Amino acid sequence: MIRRRSLFAALWGGLAVLALAVAPPRPALASPELEKGATAFIESLSKQAVDSLTDAKVGRAERIGRFRKMFTDSFAVEAIGRWLLGQHWRKATDAEKKEYLALFEDMMVASYVDRFAEYAGTTLRITRAVTENDKHATVSSEVQRPGSSQPVRVDWRVGAGDAGFKIVDVVIEGTSMSITMRSDFSSVINQKGGQISGLLDVMREKTASLKQEAARQ
Amino acid sequence: MTRLFRPTVIPLLALLVLPALPGCATAPDLRDAEARAEYERINDPIEPFNRAIFALNRAIDKALIRPLATLYRDLVPQAVRDAIGNVLANLGTPVVLANDVLQGEPERAKRTLARFVVNSTVGMGGIADVAAEMGVPRHTEDFGQTLAVWGVGEGPYLVLPLIGPSNPRDAVGLVADFFTSPLNWYAVNTGQDWITFAHTGTTALDSRTRHMKALDEVEQTSLDYYAAIRSLYRQRRQDEIRNGQGGSRMPAPGLTELKRHLPGGMMTELSAAEPPPYPLTEQNAATGLTP
Repeated sequence: MIRRRSLFAALWGGLAVLALAVAPPRPALASPELEKGATAFIESLSKQAVDSLTDAKVGRAERIGRFRKMFTDSFAVEAIGRWLLGQHWRKATDAEKKEYLALFEDMMVASYVDRFAEYAGTTLRITRAVTENDKHATVSSEVQRPGSSQPVRVDWRVGAGDAGFKIVDVVIEGTSMSITMRSDFSSVINQKGGQISGLLDVMREKTASLKQEAARQ
Repeated sequence: MTRLFRPTVIPLLALLVLPALPGCATAPDLRDAEARAEYERINDPIEPFNRAIFALNRAIDKALIRPLATLYRDLVPQAVRDAIGNVLANLGTPVVLANDVLQGEPERAKRTLARFVVNSTVGMGGIADVAAEMGVPRHTEDFGQTLAVWGVGEGPYLVLPLIGPSNPRDAVGLVADFFTSPLNWYAVNTGQDWITFAHTGTTALDSRTRHMKALDEVEQTSLDYYAAIRSLYRQRRQDEIRNGQGGSRMPAPGLTELKRHLPGGMMTELSAAEPPPYPLTEQNAATGLTP
């Protein structure tokens, strides 16, 4: 018995060494739980989104409500909003911060709510999940839209917190929405002489014009 | 070869030199470290000039190119447009192959060659992408990417008339690819310039049609379309240079050192590549999330 146990120990030890030698180098220690959780989160979210937002029978007001709830539930809205401002966040007054975050949420909802109506028949296939650090993982997927020959590569960067998983960035064909918006916002702030209030004006106008455009359709 | 310089290339070269002349963005107060870092990250020293060319391109697009692309999309069935896109891609394979080789990618070169042979024959001159159906999907390469792989930095942002977002490295690549294309050799050697014009025109129309939806979306959702496109162009090029591998694996916090060792020119946008941190902790909430 003893000999058999030590044989097994040696076997497992050998396998462990082998696994370490074969495993590719990674910037962070891979966490299978984090990767599995993040994958399940994205999978259920995509199903939920397609089910509840592409239904043509649902009225527009109802769809906006559903989208806003889904967006605030599954995206780290405040963290993203702060990050987009970068160094400018610190310079903003409390009132400006509050208005900015509210405008940011409004603008995102107005920008993307109607896009989902076009996503009927879209399928999402998860290709892999990679740990980025102890709280972040990236879930890679291929999004296939009906009538399109090539799938689109979409990476979901997900953070794990007390309130469960939240999306911090969506990377489409290598282009990050967060990075793009950050450049966009910072350019507007610079043009307005470094004033957050200038950005707020532009955001207010943009949201109003998006809503107006949607109402006309 | 000298004939090449006459009809098509001279205007192209002129466009490359032109933006270097006037206009300079106001350099920030150098005592402000953050403002300076931002200025360097944006790396667009001739921004006012670039914006002017960008506005010109947009006007030309609105008046001519977009309406043509809309007509093309609405009048020509998807299957025919796909076939035309396939033929154009097939015509471009020699350039892709040359760049695969120059980048030291034998596997990708082999796939490009196999695709060219299969699609040119079984695929009837590239009309059908038979190779993709057989599991060898299309990939692209260009000399701008090759230069990046060789370690050449992208240089400052540049908007070229008609061509759009670019930088000195990619602009040089564009000219090099033009000279590499056997189609252009053929056109020049047989004195048939129309081939070059027809090819360039069709490629532009095909590309504009395919990107119409995405570009409309960016224009609609961005606050500053110019800045959004500048960022998207750089990110897309970085992704292409890395052949779509690791584009999502941007450096995580604590790995900032790694960024110094990335191939030339990859620093600009990656400086902001750490994702928004979640959950918000006391610490990162208090520091204002400096990148």
